[in-house]
Amino acid sequence: MRRTDLPRLVEALREPIATFVRESRVRIALLVNGAGQVLAQHGFTHRYEVMNVASLAAAAHASSRALAELTGAGRWEHLHHGGASRQLFLAPLRTPVDELILIAIFDADSSLGLVQVFYEALEQDVAALPEFKAARHGTDQANFERDLEAGLEVLSPDAE
Amino acid sequence: MSETFGAVVEQLSRIPGVRGAVIAEKDAGVAVVQELAEGVNGNALAALAASLFRRTAHAGRASGFGAVSLVQLEAAGGHLLAVEAGELVLVVVAEQGAQLGLIRLEAARAGKSLA
Repeated sequence: MRRTDLPRLVEALREPIATFVRESRVRIALLVNGAGQVLAQHGFTHRYEVMNVASLAAAAHASSRALAELTGAGRWEHLHHGGASRQLFLAPLRTPVDELILIAIFDADSSLGLVQVFYEALEQDVAALPEFKAARHGTDQANFERDLEAGLEVLSPDAE
Repeated sequence: MSETFGAVVEQLSRIPGVRGAVIAEKDAGVAVVQELAEGVNGNALAALAASLFRRTAHAGRASGFGAVSLVQLEAAGGHLLAVEAGELVLVVVAEQGAQLGLIRLEAARAGKSLA
C-alpha cells in the first residue's frame, strides 16, 4: 500500500466503519492492514494506544494464520476474548486485493453474535468499495514503521 | 444436552405456521441450535433476537414491570417470539396466520423446560 493511497482509503472506509460501530454497538473499532498500517479507527483517545493495538493485532493475525496453517485448521475465522467487563474480537477482513484486520472491543451493550453479524456486513461493504478492487503495492517489513506512522498521521493528526 | 435442545426446536418447528426456531445464548447472542426454513439467517436471527430480548428486558425493568418472560414482534410478513430460558433465549419465527396462541403456549413451555 502506498502512502499516496492512504487518504483515499481512509475516506472510503469512514462510512462502513461508522455503520459497523453504530449497528454492532462496539466501543472501539480499528481496521489495519497486514503490516499494521491504520486505515480506520473509532473510540481511541490516545495515539500510542492505536499504535500499540495496531502492531499487536498485526502480530496476532500473522501468528493465528500461521498456527491455523500449521495445525491444518485451514483459514482462521476470528479470535474472541471474553473479559469480565470488556470483550475483544479480532478477525481478518478479506477484500479482493488485501487482507485487513478488524479489532473490535465491546461490552454488555453488544454481544459476540452482534459483532459477528455486522463484521460480515462490514466485510461485504469494504470488499465492494472500488478502492479495494484495484491491485496495489504491498508493504514489506522494512516499511512497517513508516506505514504505521503514515496511518496515524492521517487518522489522528491532533493526537499526542 | 444438545439432543434436548434439538428436540425442542424440532417440536416447535412442527407446529403449523412455524418457519423455525433457534436457541441462542442470551448474553453472547450466539446460536446453540437452530432449525429454520431456507433463507432465514440463523446466526443473524440469534444475535439480533437475543439483543432485542435483552434490551426489552432492560426496558421492562426500567418501567417497573419486573422480569420479562416473552417478547413478541409483529411484522408485515410474520411474527417473532423470543422466550426467556435461563441463560438462553428461545426464538420462534412464525408466518402470518399462524396459530399464535398455540405457539406462545408451546414456546413458553419449552422455555421453562430449558431454564
